Amino acid sequence: MNPLEAIGLLLALLAATTVLGLIWRARQGLVASGSGDVIMPADVASSIAFGPAATLVQFSTELCARCPGTRRLLIAVAEQRPGVVHVDVDLTHRADLANRYSVLQTPTTLILDGSGRVRARVGGAPNRADISATLDAIAQNTSRPLTTTPGS
Amino acid sequence: MATTPRPRLDPRGPRFGAAITASVLLTVVFLSLIGASVAAVVLLAALTALFAWGALAGAGRHPYSVLFKKFVRPRLAPPTELEDAAPPTFAQGVGLAVTLVGLILGLAGVPDAVGIAAAAAFVAAFLNAVFDYCLGCQIYLLLVRFGVLNRGGRTLENV
Repeated sequence: MNPLEAIGLLLALLAATTVLGLIWRARQGLVASGSGDVIMPADVASSIAFGPAATLVQFSTELCARCPGTRRLLIAVAEQRPGVVHVDVDLTHRADLANRYSVLQTPTTLILDGSGRVRARVGGAPNRADISATLDAIAQNTSRPLTTTPGS
Repeated sequence: MATTPRPRLDPRGPRFGAAITASVLLTVVFLSLIGASVAAVVLLAALTALFAWGALAGAGRHPYSVLFKKFVRPRLAPPTELEDAAPPTFAQGVGLAVTLVGLILGLAGVPDAVGIAAAAAFVAAFLNAVFDYCLGCQIYLLLVRFGVLNRGGRTLENV
């Protein structure tokens, strides 16, 4: 291959990788509606009781660059809201939980309402505004399933 | 898990290293494409050795990390937070695995493998450098899920 063709291929590789990165970044922290299943603390081996208003169930592994930052963010959000609890579930030794909840990336956060129903699912590092908006929606209406995707 | 004291790094360090690595990997792909197989293999071998260094000594003791601490970090604002050294160290191991396969196949007489392995490693290094994407974290989770790592359900600790 001559050098000009090779440079063309390199540019194509660079462009494709950039598109991949942009897609990944756009999807980080997206809030999707939850499955509606009910989760109890024992289901995720949590020794902490869930919150009477809502619970942020964060799935992490010990090898996860963004999990500690996510934990700090979610703890801060939970502290500001009465009745909201943050639970961090370490999947490192619990492949069964990772499979049961189909965790494809860490962190993944499930947002449960006061009855333990999964109302939303956040893939990747969440952003504070979207988590707050989802918790607001749960606080306003705890009986209807959450169907909208607030913010992005 | 938050109580284990592990080395902590300025998160910009590994990304700085990944940017250099991505540039060198792109050079390997170029050399491989224009048919400079020997040069491509030699450069890939050097990168493989650097990945091995990072994987074995830890991301904080990688030569690029030393460069970063000495010449780059003094010119930057202090980091807003430090991160665990384990994910970037694991990522070095993933890079080692990919480049080593390419190197072995290249030496065994499959010259195209050198360019393909370099291109694959380039994608990961570039995404890490530019988008702060952690491929190692992703692979780690998949290895846990497929039962390759950490078999057996030990009790987990909640924070």
